[in-house]
This record gives sequence, C-alpha cells and structure tokens, in this order.
Amino acid sequence: MYDFSLLPEDSIVAICVALALFAFSFISFSIILLYSLIKTNIYTKQHKDKLKLVCDVAYFHERGKRDNQEDSIYISPMDKAEDNGVVVACSDGMGGLLNGEVVSKYVTDSLTENYPYKFDAQDDNAAVITDISNKVYEEYHLGAGATLVMVHVYDDYMNFYSLGDSNIILIRNNHATLLNYKQNYITLMIRKFAEGGIDTVDAYKDTRAKGLIDFVGNHNCHVLKTSKPLRLMENDILIISSDGVTDSIPLNRLVNHIHFDQNASGIARSLKYGVKTKRNPRQDNYSAIVIKMTRSFV
Amino acid sequence: MIEYYTFKHRGDSLDFLDEVYLTLIPNMTVAIFYGSHLAEGARSQTLLFSEILNSEEGAKSISELNSVMTECLDENSEYLLLRSVNDGIECFRRGEVCAKIIRNGTVSILPNGYFRLSSDDRLVCATSNFYRFLTDEGILADALVSDTCSEWMNMMIRRISDQNQLKCGNLSAVTLKLGN
Repeated sequence: MYDFSLLPEDSIVAICVALALFAFSFISFSIILLYSLIKTNIYTKQHKDKLKLVCDVAYFHERGKRDNQEDSIYISPMDKAEDNGVVVACSDGMGGLLNGEVVSKYVTDSLTENYPYKFDAQDDNAAVITDISNKVYEEYHLGAGATLVMVHVYDDYMNFYSLGDSNIILIRNNHATLLNYKQNYITLMIRKFAEGGIDTVDAYKDTRAKGLIDFVGNHNCHVLKTSKPLRLMENDILIISSDGVTDSIPLNRLVNHIHFDQNASGIARSLKYGVKTKRNPRQDNYSAIVIKMTRSFV
Repeated sequence: MIEYYTFKHRGDSLDFLDEVYLTLIPNMTVAIFYGSHLAEGARSQTLLFSEILNSEEGAKSISELNSVMTECLDENSEYLLLRSVNDGIECFRRGEVCAKIIRNGTVSILPNGYFRLSSDDRLVCATSNFYRFLTDEGILADALVSDTCSEWMNMMIRRISDQNQLKCGNLSAVTLKLGN
C-alpha cells in the first residue's frame, strides 16, 4: 500500500488535477469520436440515397467468318433513359433460312419505331413483338426468321422479352445465369422425359434438339416475358447477346473473361477479344450489348 | 385460389426415397422429407413420415406436428412442413430442405414461423439436391416468366437437365402460388 499522507499536499493536489484533466479529455474524446461516427454513417446513408442505379452500356457487333452480318442490335436513346428507362435488344437472323440479315434488321428497326416502351406494360410490349413477328410471317411464310432478346431496365428493375435461342445473361456475385430459357425442341423433350421419370441423355442426342419451336417470323408467336420485373443490384452485369458469343465462350466460362472492376466498355472489349482468340474457323456472327449497373448521381 | 405442381424424380438412384406430401383440405399442407439424404433407414423413416401426416396428427398445428416428428423420427431426419394459415403461411424446416419465396423481383429463403403472403408471391419448396443445380437468379427468372406453376417447374428442370441430364439422385420439389 502507498501511504499518500507522506506526499506534500501540493503534490496530491497536482495529481488530482492531472487525473481530473485526463478523465475530462478521455470523456471528451469519446464523445467526439462517437458523434463523428454517427455523423459519418448518416452522411453516407443520405449520400447513398441520392445515388441511383444507372446503366453503363457498351456493345460489340462482329461478323465472324460469315459473309453477311445477320445480327442486328438496338439501344434506346440514352438521353431519355431517366424518363423511359434503357431498352436494348439483339436479333439474330436464323441460320439456314434466307434473308436473315433483312429480318433481324427489320426487327430492330421496328423496335426503334415503337420506342418508347412503358415499363409496366409487359403485355403491350410483348404484343408489339408478336405484331412484328406476324408481319415477318406474312412476308416470308416461315421462309425467314430471327431470334430476339430485349431487356428494359428502369431504375433498379428489369423486364425482359425473348423469342428463340439468343441470350440474356445476368452475372451476379461472380456467377453467370442465363435468364431466358431457350425455345428449342429440346425443352419439349426434357419435359416429356422428366415426366416419364427417366434421364434426359437421349434428348440431347436428338438431331432436332436445337431446332427452334418459336421465333420472330412464326405466326402468333409466344413471347417469353417477365410478368413482374426482376430486381437488379449494384455491379450486376447483363449481357444481351446472339448465340455466336456463347458458342465460343460457354456460359460457365464467361466470368473468366471479365474483371469485376471493369466498366461496360471494358467488359465488352474483353468478351469480343475472348471470342476472337478462339479462332473458330466457322465463327458465327457475334454481337452483344453489355450493361453494368453502377451507382451514380443522376 | 391455390395452384401447385409437384415434381418427384429418382434421378440415377435405384429408388425414390424422398417423400412429397400435399393436401388441400382443410388447409393446404406441403411436406417434403429428404429421405435420400439419410445414410440408413431411409425407407422406414420416409414411411413413418407419411404415416404421421396421414394420421390425425397431421391435422395438428405446425409446431405440434413438428414435436411429433421430432419425437418419432430419426434425429438426422431432414424435412419441411408448410401450411397455409389465413392469409399467410406457417413454415418449419429442419436440415437441408427449404422453401424459397419470390417477392418484389427477389428471391429469399422462407424463415421458420408465420409469414404473411401477398397475391403475387410464389413459393418453391425443395430439397438441397434440387437447389444444388440452380442459382437464385435462375429460379427467380423462371418464376417471373412462367404463367403457371407447372411451367415454372419445367423451366427449372430444364436448367437441372442442362447440367446433368437428370442423373443426379432424387429430385423433389413443389411450386406453389397462393392467393388471387
């Protein structure tokens, strides 16, 4: 035990004052620290509320080894994005049929003419596509056709529309998911096999497997569409592409070609060169529109 | 109105050892037993599970029913019990069987307890072997584009088939749409 009574009175007073000062500074420091932490959090939240999810858009449109460019793409005016959202589409002329490039161009031109699209009018928008398909049917009577994938992003929600076997791919958390199912014959066979309780190996061996059961140019086609919008997150990447892209870079390898700090242009460039470096002697036309959802001031 | 579609597939296994139970009267009840995940005694446990549900115990509340299940079944048993109550759903899950709910363009796991539903909500109940080959984004996209529960299920089966041609062990799932 210390005997403080041996200390001079002045020293005891000095020690008490020092202790009091220390306690006062410690409490003041804690209060200031706590206040600044709360303030920073509130500021960050307010700041984040002012930031909206916006679309960073880029594309590539390549001919591959084909003589003609049968892919056609559409991107809505970006200066009207705040009012009408962003609409992008990719149409791929059907191989083996004549006038693929004419039909795909007709599809995207028609989409341009019908702009703007109401975000919540999915049925009306699908009807526009059905109408385009019927016009192609009246002109070619199944002698020509195209696929179509269309995405409509408004704030942090998206609707999509699909006919045929082109791709709408969502990359989230380093994983790529094909959002639209492919309207080809294999879908019907898988359903039948699964209902019969057997495996589906033979369905994939069938020569008719990849044949389309619906496409632009079919009479009264069934447009695959979202009835309610899908919520998008920050850093989501959407790839709207023709099958020329995924024929060379399969879905499960797409993420290997992308760096997540890249913007849409960087991602589009990486994918384009990714396909190019495959040096496929029968490379189909390959086109894609890349959308990266970023948070930004509007 | 209640719309549902059930899917049971033995995959590449010799037998189907899961159990998918569904009844609409007096209240809609869905139960999935993950028998194929049990190391031993799967068949007897599966039978016991369906016996309990078919007995008068099956009409008890979810918590009471769960107590009976806990008492009678093997401690490693994995199952999901789901019942519509008023304008919501009561859920209890044990192990790797769960229900996922599609709401406001997102998908999330249904928690244990009572959960109020709105008319646009859709549910999928399945074992982890079913979910293993699907991403949440895939489940969500299929739910949003499909008009019926059977269409939704078929789209998910297509995704699973694309990866393994359904050679993947027992697959058990139910898609549900409750409300108007």
